[in-house]
Amino acid sequence: MKKYEELNYYEALEIPFGASPFEISQAYKDALSIYNEDSLITYSFFDESERGLILKKIEKAFLTLIDPIERGKYDRMLVRTGEADESILIKKDRKKPISLFQGNHPKNRGLHLKKIRKKVEAEDMKTLSKEIITGDVVSGADLKKLRESVGIDLEEIFEVTRINIPILKSIEENEFEKLPPIIYLKNFLKSYSDTLQLDSNTIIDGYIKNMTRHRESA
Amino acid sequence: MSQTYPIGGGKGGSGKSFITANLGVLFAKQGKKVVLVDLDLGGSNLHTFLNLRNPERGLNDFLNKDCKNLDDVAVPTAIPNLSLISSTNCSHEIGNLFHTQKLKIIRAIKDLSYDYTLLDLGAGTIFNVLDFFLISNEGLFIITPEPTSIENTFQFIKAVYLRKIKQVLKQRAFNTFVKKLQTTTNKSIIRSPMELVEMVSKYNPERGKRLQDELEKFEFTFIINQFRKETDVTMGSKIEKLCNKHFFANFQFLGNIRYDERVHDSIYSRSIYMNKYPYSITAVDLQNVAGKITKIHQHHALQSVT
Repeated sequence: MKKYEELNYYEALEIPFGASPFEISQAYKDALSIYNEDSLITYSFFDESERGLILKKIEKAFLTLIDPIERGKYDRMLVRTGEADESILIKKDRKKPISLFQGNHPKNRGLHLKKIRKKVEAEDMKTLSKEIITGDVVSGADLKKLRESVGIDLEEIFEVTRINIPILKSIEENEFEKLPPIIYLKNFLKSYSDTLQLDSNTIIDGYIKNMTRHRESA
Repeated sequence: MSQTYPIGGGKGGSGKSFITANLGVLFAKQGKKVVLVDLDLGGSNLHTFLNLRNPERGLNDFLNKDCKNLDDVAVPTAIPNLSLISSTNCSHEIGNLFHTQKLKIIRAIKDLSYDYTLLDLGAGTIFNVLDFFLISNEGLFIITPEPTSIENTFQFIKAVYLRKIKQVLKQRAFNTFVKKLQTTTNKSIIRSPMELVEMVSKYNPERGKRLQDELEKFEFTFIINQFRKETDVTMGSKIEKLCNKHFFANFQFLGNIRYDERVHDSIYSRSIYMNKYPYSITAVDLQNVAGKITKIHQHHALQSVT
């Protein structure tokens, strides 16, 4: 049986060589709860100096193993002294911490964009837009017609532009009262037309003209 | 195969006698031949847990040579297969047992041929208790989840270690090493038996190795008794981890035994708890512990065959 002073950092924290950062911090917390000076279990077990040494070791073990660079150095040292097998240097299987905000990134944005591009390229967008958009006014219905004629869903537009579907619908249905302030609307129209590879300036100007015309008449 | 389990734990009132009596009942109900020995000399009351008013025979008859064999002074209890060797009829000075009498008892206990021999020990760390505890390597500690009990348990474990080290090294060598350790560490008392082991290993590796081998034979188990719902549930496993890391031995946590008011009721009415409340949570906990001990016992039996 090994003496406490001879335990390596993994043994001191009671974790396997491949432990993930989460396991390491969990083990560190557990160890502190045992060796802490107000711990019910050990307050009578060690004297101050013994406890001090143990806590120092736990601290050092945690700080070394939680830092990837220090851990790498330590692992190589263990391999050199023959305490561990070389396989511990391969980090492939080691679990990584889950990144924050993982859910917020549109994962397949590129994929959707590619799909849309393919559909758009299959049709002749320029002639189509000339057929549908007559004059210098662009209505929501025109945009909807354009989108549907190349077979693209609102959901796909959303996946690429991250503009809410209700807003996209309001744009296409000419529900002007539900639209955001003009500065946002301009940006939304820009990403919408970029996605469909339309000339964004024509679309923005035309749409706003249509909107003001509606407001004046109302 | 006969197996002896000394049941100790340093602090008084932690439930050693209660657990001894009820584990005995459970083993006997498994159909095993069981004897309980009340070695809480001068403070014996194991018979009360088993509803025996005045056992007609006991340890005294063995010590004053009325009976030749220790087995002859065992009295049957209300439970089939379960007998008791009581020490309640001993003299009031029995607490200060003579050395030769102690050796006689230890030898006789080792010769008992029951499936299970459970030794109920007294509190404290006087040599009698420690020597009885060291009759077997499979000592069982009873801990209650209070600082005082945990403190006493560690004191008890350390005292058991020092006693064992003394037994292995023999008196003279033990004293020399203790003196050496005192001068090198500048401490007047030896608090940690492990330091002593290290000391021996340093000056006499061969002897140190023998000592460590001897200590590694310990297979201690422990129980947390009077476990209440506000107690830290990880306490048992933490104590197990701690002991395995800092003593050269194997410690195994057998489980928590939950607190039950009715234990007191059963003692008041002098009835056997396991019989009166066989389905209470405490009884179930006791059953689990008994099951674990039986498993370890079978494992040992298998090992000794192969």
